[in-house]
Amino acid sequence: MPDELTPSPDSPRPAATPPPNPAEGPGKGEIEPILTVPPVPGAPKPNPILTVDNLARSFGGLRAVDVDHLEVERGVVTALIGPNGAGKTTLFNLLSGFDRADSGRWSFDGRAVTAPAPDQLARQGMIRTFQLTKSLAKLTVIDNVLLGAPGQAGERLWTAPFRWRWRDQERENTGRAEELLERFNLAHMRDELAGTLSGGQRKLLEVARALMANPVLIMLDEPMAGVNPALGQSLMRHITLLAHEGMSVVFIEHAMDVVTGLSDWVVVLSQGRIIAEGPPWKVIHDDDVIDAYLGRRRAGDAL
Amino acid sequence: MDFDIIFGNAARAAFGPEAVILALAAIGLNVHFGFTGMLNCGQVGFLLLGAYGTSVSVATFGWSLWAGVLIGLFLSLALAAALGFPTLRLNPLLFAIATIAAAEIIRILIGSTDAIGLTGGPLSVSFDAGAFYDLNPYPDGPQDRYGIGTFEFTGQQLWVITVGWALIALISLAIFLLVRSPWGRVLKSIREDEDAARSLGKNVFSYKMQALLIGGGIGGLAGVIDAIKTSGADPNGFRPQVTFFAYAALLLGGAATYLGPVLGAVLFWFLREWIESFLRQLASESWLPGAASDFLDGAEGIISVAMVGLALVLLMLFRPQGLTGNRTELHLDAR
Repeated sequence: MPDELTPSPDSPRPAATPPPNPAEGPGKGEIEPILTVPPVPGAPKPNPILTVDNLARSFGGLRAVDVDHLEVERGVVTALIGPNGAGKTTLFNLLSGFDRADSGRWSFDGRAVTAPAPDQLARQGMIRTFQLTKSLAKLTVIDNVLLGAPGQAGERLWTAPFRWRWRDQERENTGRAEELLERFNLAHMRDELAGTLSGGQRKLLEVARALMANPVLIMLDEPMAGVNPALGQSLMRHITLLAHEGMSVVFIEHAMDVVTGLSDWVVVLSQGRIIAEGPPWKVIHDDDVIDAYLGRRRAGDAL
Repeated sequence: MDFDIIFGNAARAAFGPEAVILALAAIGLNVHFGFTGMLNCGQVGFLLLGAYGTSVSVATFGWSLWAGVLIGLFLSLALAAALGFPTLRLNPLLFAIATIAAAEIIRILIGSTDAIGLTGGPLSVSFDAGAFYDLNPYPDGPQDRYGIGTFEFTGQQLWVITVGWALIALISLAIFLLVRSPWGRVLKSIREDEDAARSLGKNVFSYKMQALLIGGGIGGLAGVIDAIKTSGADPNGFRPQVTFFAYAALLLGGAATYLGPVLGAVLFWFLREWIESFLRQLASESWLPGAASDFLDGAEGIISVAMVGLALVLLMLFRPQGLTGNRTELHLDAR
């Protein structure tokens, strides 16, 4: 693959082993403020982008989400893990306004979210992707990505018919979109309809589209499912790079090596509740997490 | 059997006022259904309000024709807003039901005997569209005909279709400019997946409302032209099949294309009139058995509509994207 970010097949997978000194996060030299946070459920963070209080959602008799308190730190990569049906996607849906909570309050980027509307939250910078990919089949790949660009003058009815009013912005956006396509190994599909892409490519396209929106917080629901591992990891490394530039990332993932290798912080959800959180190398040793999710052997594998 | 006459009839229908009205109705539907994915099953309601808004303003209230035209357009936009606010947030199928119900309710109310004083009720309404024909630049003597051979129009007809086709050209151009822009990209994204559009910060309700107003207004304009053409309006002219003829035209020509609805409307009327004229001539042929003549006599119109329906079925089987559509696009849904 031509992508410079794609590791060659024999390059080592991201370190799954804990660093010798826990004060040095994986792959970083300086002490991150997040590492001063005690690894207990609901722990307050130094600079949270997202703060959630008493969030609950039931489906019939099933309490799908029941979070007392959760803070997501700004500018770090947070992994959300947990067994199937733990409520990870439901939590995403609630926070992004795609589902209505029975009760609860949360604030995003310093603003209380009172009437959560998905488009409004997205315009404030909370961009999410979906577990079941939502590529726009009858739009071209480049149009899919361009759709993500925020603040487009040409999207207003009164300016849309007058091309000179939006041509420059469109050209600029197209340049950025092409860079993203290049990065995501989709450049050769630029003018194909998105419906002709494979499942994994659609997943990549959705992430590219989300990044096009310049998110403050990006929430990725299993971004690597169906993506070939090498490309997926290069992708996620790109995303962690963006996190170091200030973007906050939350992602749902099942592959523990990815979680331990890429995340700065892990939140474990089980039966709708947060049962543990902390740096990855601590969380995987937590007895509750092992019982609820990893299993004795799996925890050993992850190490 | 005179094929010259058959062809002349068909060609006149294909470019005459009826085709203009159908084309505009289908262009409006294309904005709703083709580009935004809204299943509007009550397009005829917009035509009805355009036609009755014009007719009633002039006939009942004695206002000028141009005031009537504006009122007709305003009423069709008002219908779009009134329909959109409660239903656009709902399931798309509920929207479809709401539109067909609204159009029928309006037709029944306007055509009821209680409404005779206002709309003429079942008696229909007529008015003097002289203000429009005063502008007619074509000499319109009883002998004046424009066209070639059997394909010819009177001066008045030619004036109506000149204005009509000019409007179609203008509106098609406007739609083209809008849809190729980022605004159009948002519309199509809503058609493909509303939630994806929402997740990227697009106000889906607002865009759907804009599309509904634009398409409804174009439908209203079709109604205004209908009223001017017939100098009046009749509730029976606005039955639900008008919407489905517009869908037939749209699908024939190709939904979500710029010229599809226009091409489809021309073709729809050409086929329909060709078949009807052909059958009418056939019925009077001496070699035809008496029973067959009796069967055809008076049924030509119905049979021709049925044949157009059959053509549509065949088209869906062999060229489902319509005449101008893109086949790969269509097949993406099946993946």
